[in-house]
Amino acid sequence: MSTESDTDVKDEIAREQLIELASDFYDQFAEGNVPTMEIPTRTKSNIVFDEDKDVWVYGDRTSTRSANSVQGAQKLLKAIYTIEFLAEQLEEERSSTLRELYYLSESWDEERAQFSGQDESNQLVEDLEIVSEVTREDFHMRPEESGATIMGPLYLREQTRRGEREIHCQEDVGEGGYQIPNNPDTIEFLEHDADFVLCVETGGMRDRLVENGFDEEYNVIIVHLKGQPARATRRITKRLRDELDLPVVVFCDGDPWSYRIYASVSYGSIKSAHLSEYLATPAAEYVGIQPVDIVNYELPTDPLSDSDRNALQSELDDPRFQDDYWREQIELQLEIDKKAEQQALASRGLDFVTDTYLPERLGEMDVL
Amino acid sequence: MTSYQSQLGDDGGGAVAEELAENQRSISIAEFFEKNKQMLGFDSDAKALVTAVKEAVDNALDATEEANILPDIYVEIEEVGGYYRLVVEDNGPGITKEQVPKVFGKLLYGSRFHARAQTRGQQGIGISAAVLYAQLTSGKPAKVTSKTERGDGARYFELTIDTDTNEPEIDVERDTRWERPHGTRIEIEMEGNMRARRQLHDYIKHTAVVNPHARIEFEEPDASFKFERVTDELPPETEEIRPHPHGVELGTLLKMLEATDSYSLSGFLQGEFTRVGAKTAESILDNFRDRHFGREPAWRSPRARGETDVEAAVADAVANKSAEATAAIAERLDGAIRDRDRIAHAELASLVGELADEIETEFDQTFGSTVRENAVDAAWGEIIRDRASDCYALVDGATTTRKDDAAIEGLADRLADKFDDQEDARNRITREGLREFVGRAADATEEYDDATFGETARENVVEAVWDASVTVPDDPPNVADVAGDRDAAARLLEAMRETDILSPPTDCLAPISEDLVVAGLKKEYDADFYTSVTRDASVHGGDPFVVEVGIAYGGEIEADGGVDVLRFANRVPLVYQRGACATVDVLKGVNWRNYGLDQPGGSGIPNGPGVIMVHVASTSVPFTSESKDAVANIPEIEDELRLALQEAGRGMQSHLKKQRSLRKRRRKQNVIADILPDMAEKLSEVTGREPLDVEDSLARIMNNVLVERATDGATVRLSVHNYGDTNVSPEITEIVTTDPGEPGGATVVEMDGEWFIKWSPTVESGTTATLEYDADDDAEFDISVDGVEAEKLTVNT
Repeated sequence: MSTESDTDVKDEIAREQLIELASDFYDQFAEGNVPTMEIPTRTKSNIVFDEDKDVWVYGDRTSTRSANSVQGAQKLLKAIYTIEFLAEQLEEERSSTLRELYYLSESWDEERAQFSGQDESNQLVEDLEIVSEVTREDFHMRPEESGATIMGPLYLREQTRRGEREIHCQEDVGEGGYQIPNNPDTIEFLEHDADFVLCVETGGMRDRLVENGFDEEYNVIIVHLKGQPARATRRITKRLRDELDLPVVVFCDGDPWSYRIYASVSYGSIKSAHLSEYLATPAAEYVGIQPVDIVNYELPTDPLSDSDRNALQSELDDPRFQDDYWREQIELQLEIDKKAEQQALASRGLDFVTDTYLPERLGEMDVL
Repeated sequence: MTSYQSQLGDDGGGAVAEELAENQRSISIAEFFEKNKQMLGFDSDAKALVTAVKEAVDNALDATEEANILPDIYVEIEEVGGYYRLVVEDNGPGITKEQVPKVFGKLLYGSRFHARAQTRGQQGIGISAAVLYAQLTSGKPAKVTSKTERGDGARYFELTIDTDTNEPEIDVERDTRWERPHGTRIEIEMEGNMRARRQLHDYIKHTAVVNPHARIEFEEPDASFKFERVTDELPPETEEIRPHPHGVELGTLLKMLEATDSYSLSGFLQGEFTRVGAKTAESILDNFRDRHFGREPAWRSPRARGETDVEAAVADAVANKSAEATAAIAERLDGAIRDRDRIAHAELASLVGELADEIETEFDQTFGSTVRENAVDAAWGEIIRDRASDCYALVDGATTTRKDDAAIEGLADRLADKFDDQEDARNRITREGLREFVGRAADATEEYDDATFGETARENVVEAVWDASVTVPDDPPNVADVAGDRDAAARLLEAMRETDILSPPTDCLAPISEDLVVAGLKKEYDADFYTSVTRDASVHGGDPFVVEVGIAYGGEIEADGGVDVLRFANRVPLVYQRGACATVDVLKGVNWRNYGLDQPGGSGIPNGPGVIMVHVASTSVPFTSESKDAVANIPEIEDELRLALQEAGRGMQSHLKKQRSLRKRRRKQNVIADILPDMAEKLSEVTGREPLDVEDSLARIMNNVLVERATDGATVRLSVHNYGDTNVSPEITEIVTTDPGEPGGATVVEMDGEWFIKWSPTVESGTTATLEYDADDDAEFDISVDGVEAEKLTVNT
């Protein structure tokens, strides 16, 4: 799918976009104006549902980074230095991690352009993604390895830096599964024998499912989310859905933070709503643990903490959770004031999750 | 000591000394001085030198100003053989031989003891004290050189004070030469040391601050200063006003009584005091009569008691007159008394007098004084017959209803007895005497009738009886009598204080004025900001006063520690006893944080690079002690001080606010001005385009006024962009080396081949003004822009 010239063209486009951005600043200076950069406000109050694409994207509200304040001027200076760095990186066909960018800034001679923390550099790269409409991956910026994995009846080809590899995600991998690369677009799906995709939040549950042979028994591609999923994990999930036309379900803990994990898989995250179209899998459905499961299966629970309650309240205002199902579940959870982990299912025996819970739930959802 | 202070505080120095001397006549003047050194400001060698300088300089300033001469003062301190020689020269009118002893030697007999004027002189005991101190410590006479404007040359005198007779004597007198056109020079030698150098320097420097019209030169062994004159405006002449009755002390009053030409007290009061006319004098005298003679209680007329024995009693008492006349006077007196509610003895006597005169004419009979007295006594006997019931009514009315009736009756009876037993049948009694009567009657009633009469109840009874008493018509003693009777004088003083009298006029004060306070501060302190406040005159005791405050802040003023506090009274710096001074007390009590100053703990002397000047001007500044180093805590003065400090504080606050905002802007401009060029450089690197100029953007960011020059052929165009949010009116001057023609809206002045083109456009917020003129190719330009703060201006030409 991606040939050498393809990559070159893509890199050149990304580079041009960045230079274009710098030119905008240049023009603003030349006209005697104050250089500014306008970006969408990245808060939950500024995401709207895009009905055409079926995902949540940023709304109309923007915030302006302007050189008319000391802080704004410093931000823009950093942006320009980063643009220069990224443009050079693309030209030299190299790549680096977000963390490397942060450390690299330390070597810039202009102290004011150096980042004060990793968060700042991460955010700036996201800002640049938004204004240049080029994804981070196309800047050749990657996150640290998230270590998320796939296990299931899927045969694929990965374009690695050391050549192409063809891998079967059950037969060619160890118990750990196939590690999702930082840029999943280097993967080409060859063949598969799967009925659906199951995204699992925790490592413990993923291992349980593999040990119990759930992937083989039900022809499932198990995607380990590893907490809040990395972009690559979300991207590959979306591709599994779009390219292989497989149903996608998400299996998490029964607490407010896990609902957000589901939401970011399904609807896109607030921080990267500009990439929702590219990362979100609107068709993904939530398996559990649902608050109603806590009641029905009498699962062992922990009481909600204050921050849990606040998170639930905040989800009630979150546009992504504005439907009857979630309203009902969240209100129920606030009422019972309890939460449960995936592993709580083990209180009914180690096989309960694979023999009873998942088949029952997936049956209800018409996936099985 | 304290007893002196209370009396001395309000007086001129001379009066104090006079009184002191009176009490000390038996001892030698040297001993007297020794005993009172501290009070006079000569308690240590170090302080003695400061005091001597102070007295001499104050004297010199007063002498020049009184003659309407801008002061030019020279002060020199020199160490000579173990002593310090102090020389003070002024350019005053000079003095004659007759004046020399008066000015420099009259330690104990000041002449202005009751003058009320805002002078420096009242500040100290006078230069003569320094002369005496010098003489006592070094044994050397004071050397005075003086040259008057008459043009007969300078005279030289040596003056000593005879310590046996306390009289100044001129020992040496001769012609001399002196370069000054006129003036006076005094030279004294004294024990002393320079340990108080800082105070000395402060005194001189502060004197220069409050006397911007003076030129002062100062030299001492280790230092010398020159303070130039900054204004030719002499302080307005201060008018002397007569003292206010509320502002004098007993000693002064006695002196005034002795010195006056008036015979009657009324004349004395009207002639010697301010705000006293005939009516006020009469009020004072009534109050004085009440104290001096006492009042006479007015008893109820017998009619009110339903008895009518007056007629019979009077008829009986009038002997040897015709029956008709006797009957007439008895009847008419009876009728007249009946017409009254209450009647006092004096009133009765005058009534009898009137009727007797009437009858005399009518019946052609003579009513001698004996007959009249008999008639008075007879009627009086009837009037006071039932005094107990009168007293009962008064006591009952004055006490609460809860009091037992028997107790009230007991008190009333006993009080009536006291009046009955009085030697003076007229019942004349002072308030004090009355209080004693009531007290004794109440004590007895408490003892025998098992009742209680507290302080308030007693005082109420006294008040009731006093109110029912009348002021006697007796003529007050004349001035000579009162002058010779200390107690009578004390009563007069009390009466004066008791009487409501209009406040003294305040136009006799000469504050430094707000402008000159600032001028004075500017002269000595290189600050960023100056403000001053002169309050309206106000009155304490019998003396008007004005408070002034000046603040200098920022600039070159030392920033470490607390602000400097400069204290002045009648333009004289106060050097010692800072901690005891009302000015400092009040200053510490102001919350300076409200006005943007750092003040740890919210009280005390604020910190920062500031100088706070406080001036109290009054016809009589109240001091805490005779050395006159600290203003006393008089509530009226404290209030004015506080208001003045707060008002000045507000002025400073707005300045500090503006400074802070400009500082912030400067910081921002610095940072952004730093970043922007770097950004621009990077951008041209990344984009591969030519280098950028960021001035326009910078001006816009800083909401600045940007002035740019562009040349288009022979036309030079200046653009004034106003990126700020308020209109600006800059004054733009372009200096160009070729003829600019006649540019619109500008004035052009040519000077030595340079043309000064000046525009004063008003540029509204967010707009640009364009100024054009012609210039040759080889023209050189130089632009200057005024009227816009440096922080808000970007000139990019």
